[in-house]
Amino acid sequence: MCSGGDLIVNLIEYFVSNFTFILGYTWDHIKLVGLAIIIAIVIGVPLGIYCSVNKYAASTILQIASIMMTIPSLALFGIMIPVLSLINEGIGTLPAIIALVLYSQLPIIRNTYTAINNVDPDIRDAANGIGLTTFQRLIKVELPNAMPLIMAGIRTATVLNIGVGAIATLIGAGGLGGIIYQGILRTNNTMILAGAIAVAVLALIADLFLRLIENLFTPKGVKK
Amino acid sequence: MIHFNDVTKIYNSNVKAIENMNFTVEEGELVIMLGPSGCGKTTLLRMVNQLESITKGDIMLNGKSVWHSNKIEMRRNIGYVIQSNGLFPNMNIEDNAMIVPNLLGWDRKKMRDRFNMLMELVGLNPDEYRKRYPHELSGGQQQRVGVARALAADPPVMLMDEPFGALDPIIRTHLQEEFLQIQKELKKTILFVSHDIDEAVKMADKIALLKGGKMMQYAEPARMLNKPANSFVAEFVGQDRVLKSMSLYTVRDLANALTLKPVIESPDSQNINENLSLRVAISKILNQEADQLIVENDNGTRKGSITLDLIEQFLHREIKESV
Amino acid sequence: MDRTNKTIALIIKLIFWALLIAFFVWAFANNMFSKIWEQPDTFLRLLGEHITIVLLSGAAAVLLAVPLGIFVTRPKFRKSEWLIVGIANLGQTIPSLAVLALAMGFLGIGISAAVVALFVYSLLPILQNTIAGLDSVDDNMIDAAKGMGLTNTQILWKIELPNALTSIIAGVRTALVINIGTAALAYLIGAGGLGVWIFTGIRLFDNAFLMSGAVPVTLLAIVIDYLFKWLQFALVPKGLRLARKAQNS
Ligand SMILES: Nc1ncnc2c1ncn2[C@@H]1O[C@H](COP(=O)(O)OP(=O)(O)O)[C@@H](O)[C@H]1O
Ligand SMILES: [Mg+2]
Repeated sequence: MCSGGDLIVNLIEYFVSNFTFILGYTWDHIKLVGLAIIIAIVIGVPLGIYCSVNKYAASTILQIASIMMTIPSLALFGIMIPVLSLINEGIGTLPAIIALVLYSQLPIIRNTYTAINNVDPDIRDAANGIGLTTFQRLIKVELPNAMPLIMAGIRTATVLNIGVGAIATLIGAGGLGGIIYQGILRTNNTMILAGAIAVAVLALIADLFLRLIENLFTPKGVKK
Repeated sequence: MIHFNDVTKIYNSNVKAIENMNFTVEEGELVIMLGPSGCGKTTLLRMVNQLESITKGDIMLNGKSVWHSNKIEMRRNIGYVIQSNGLFPNMNIEDNAMIVPNLLGWDRKKMRDRFNMLMELVGLNPDEYRKRYPHELSGGQQQRVGVARALAADPPVMLMDEPFGALDPIIRTHLQEEFLQIQKELKKTILFVSHDIDEAVKMADKIALLKGGKMMQYAEPARMLNKPANSFVAEFVGQDRVLKSMSLYTVRDLANALTLKPVIESPDSQNINENLSLRVAISKILNQEADQLIVENDNGTRKGSITLDLIEQFLHREIKESV
Repeated sequence: MDRTNKTIALIIKLIFWALLIAFFVWAFANNMFSKIWEQPDTFLRLLGEHITIVLLSGAAAVLLAVPLGIFVTRPKFRKSEWLIVGIANLGQTIPSLAVLALAMGFLGIGISAAVVALFVYSLLPILQNTIAGLDSVDDNMIDAAKGMGLTNTQILWKIELPNALTSIIAGVRTALVINIGTAALAYLIGAGGLGVWIFTGIRLFDNAFLMSGAVPVTLLAIVIDYLFKWLQFALVPKGLRLARKAQNS
């Protein structure tokens, strides 16, 4: 056991001497989460839009997505390994990405759906009144107004996935969880802490970065 | 009786919300505080039940300084009604209305009787609403329960902050009239905040008109309309203050002040009860295109007749007196 | 249009159930839950450890986080509220794996380290939701209560807590579901739980161990989630449910 001061000195030393090594892990982590989020957006946003026109499907889809969200990450990996080993992909990046995509669905679908539903009915009426088709209305009116909330859902999903990504290491998907895991194997507090800090900082930076994008995406008139 | 003795309120040691306020709400009187938004009405009201502290001066409640009273005990003897959200959504209507008696430890039977009686008073069926929840009621019904709740422990004093302000006009008018009836019966000492001159004219025994934390005029509605103390009051009560004031005078007031015209019999002549307001009288004359109205008392005895000229003469007299 | 919509919703539901049933049929057909029948004692022990870790840490977290949430929302301490909320937000960006690992670093391996780690980790959502729940109580309502002569304690018990209850229970629900997942990692710090079988399965590439561990953990999480969803409904005063319904419609 070492004192707090020592711990900090050790930490700094660790970060300095393992800089490239940590950077590599971070890059793996970003690739994993980034790829998962892009796939999640491609699936989730259209589903959210569809939910906004079919309220029966909406309740079913949201229910399924929220059950997915409840499944503990290690258990989800544990279930996917046997299933994916049918196609020889049991361990590695594929189960990790599938898990992250599943976890992202609830925040993305729900926020898209809520955002579109929340568009002021008067605005929608006006759009209909000037003769826009449903599709034009969606592209020109509803999506721009819904953008901030959709982006907020993507942000929630990203921050969540950076945390879950740390566990994906355990099934061989790489990433910053590796530093924590090695720390556990060697009972090395400095490594554990370094890994934890790296994941937390990555999450915070992602949060900040996506807030900035959120701001850019928000039409001037919608800003509060 | 509520007596304001040189009351001053300063927020955050720089915002002067109330300045040297002096006036008295007599026992059984309904006084309405009126004035533009931010003039200090709510602040003044909330100092009475000590939801806001008093910076300087004192408020005497039935002869006792609110400074030196036990806050909790004092508040339980003051009915308090606010504009919105006063009801607790987690409690049913009976629990909401009986919250103060409950705290005071009344027994079940007494509370039930009181609830039934109050609900009848505010025009709601007690058994129908007892177990319902605030969100199952309309805005108007909620506000009735709010009034019933404030009356629950039979407090001698009521404080009401724009109690009907959030309701739509028709329901508001309805509740104002009902509340006036209740007040006629119960004779509470009431300090009531409003920003609506018509509400004040209709309901108040006296109006306190505030501006920037200072009293502009404290007078009976008729006096305020006809004899505004300064140009601010005149402007606030409006260009149509003469028209407004007509609803405050009865035909009898006119008959007492001026000699009525002799009755000229004609087939289309109309009668008017002397207890009705001049506003009704003038509408009747204009609507029916009658030249005169025959004034009757409750027994149907004719006392003479009034014409547009006569009403005009009366109003001139009242207003001139004021200048 | 409405009928087509309903049909599509039904089809989605059917596909979901069909996949679920297919999964279980496949798993049973390949004897993937065999460990549960072969080693019932071990299964029950692991399940017991898992539940113990989750409930002990959860209960302790409720006992500390709810009073703490009440404390920081009192007017006198409101100024420190942003700090607590900030810490709660920040803390949740630290991965659960790291919290467990750090607890081991300081307390050694074993069940107590796992309980402490999960306790600390579940403080955050409960605290966050307690504060949010109490903050969302309408100021006008509290004002009315004060004006009628309720004491601060009466206002807390009769008005604030009942109105914040949904949010508080939601926080406990979130915390417990997260804990069930994190407890599966407790194996890594020698605290047992159903994670033992999952990790054995990963190491040995043994599907029976994997499934016999992972599926019960999943079911546990879903059951707890539904139980608390029901509690949210059952414990919350009826008037508030109506209020929420009125707001949502
Ligand atoms: N809690 C407070 N802190 C600081 N200033 C306040 C507070 N409450 C009211 N004020 C200020 O005091 C003045 C009177 O407010 P208020 O009594 O609410 O007016 P009214 O009810 O007539 O609209 C306003 O300028 C308002 O901004
Ligand atoms: Mg006000």
